Amino acid sequence: MKLTRLIAITAIGLTAVHAEPLTFDFKDPMGVNNVVFKLDAPLESINGTASGVSGTVTIDPANPGEAKGKIVVATDSLTVPNPLMKEHLVGEKWLNAKAHPEITFEIKSISNIEKKDTKGEAKVTGTFTLNGVSKDITVDAKVTYLPGKLGDRTGGKLQGDLLVIRTEFKIKRSDYNIQPGQRLEKVSDEIALSLSIAGAAPKG
Amino acid sequence: MTRTLLVLTIVIDLAVIGIWLALGAHLGWSMTQVPVKKIDPVTEIEFTEYDHRFVPGVDFLAAGLIGSGTLFTFGLIVSKFTAKPES
Repeated sequence: MKLTRLIAITAIGLTAVHAEPLTFDFKDPMGVNNVVFKLDAPLESINGTASGVSGTVTIDPANPGEAKGKIVVATDSLTVPNPLMKEHLVGEKWLNAKAHPEITFEIKSISNIEKKDTKGEAKVTGTFTLNGVSKDITVDAKVTYLPGKLGDRTGGKLQGDLLVIRTEFKIKRSDYNIQPGQRLEKVSDEIALSLSIAGAAPKG
Repeated sequence: MTRTLLVLTIVIDLAVIGIWLALGAHLGWSMTQVPVKKIDPVTEIEFTEYDHRFVPGVDFLAAGLIGSGTLFTFGLIVSKFTAKPES
């Protein structure tokens, strides 16, 4: 009788623990989190990365539809191989990093969730803010939940879970007031973005 | 004077082309940092690290060749105006 009660209490306790949403911090000390951007241009496509990723996402792995959070990318972390191009990119005429130091995506809702073990796919709707202009967009996201894998990345210093989010989507720079209708012969209006980030939720 | 300028122009052109070829003959813009793709073993995220080195592009090639051409032309003009008339 005592054993049955103990098992029942333990089961309730475990359920309660798993039902608790986890908050994942996306400021990755390993410097792995990145956004890749690609624009067509006459001589060669402009490929660059942004590594200044931060933000948090709170998610219950058992109920991912209720996830909330915001991913932030530091505008001046955008990097291209050519230094003059980088200067123009974050300069006043293009992304104006001084006036708009952050590019953000804030989750509003999640739908069409398909879960398989620790992996899932969903449509994530959120507010994307670039160059001070905010627009609601919906993107296809792939999520992988890696329970207990934080220790593998920190050499055992920190224990906890990891959440990996991947998404690819396209935007038009004209929608975000980045030289709309101008210099189209030099830089395409369409920008392809690819985001691959891992967040950590330390335990204990 | 003209002969010296011609030789100098050829030397500069060869040096520019040689540097461009030796450092990768990159057909895009010059780079001061070269992207290197890596994969994080735990998360399997592909990320980019930058190798800080100079890779000259077609802008370097064009600037070098135009520069040497301009030097040659300018030198020719100067030598023509400063040349002493034959007596």
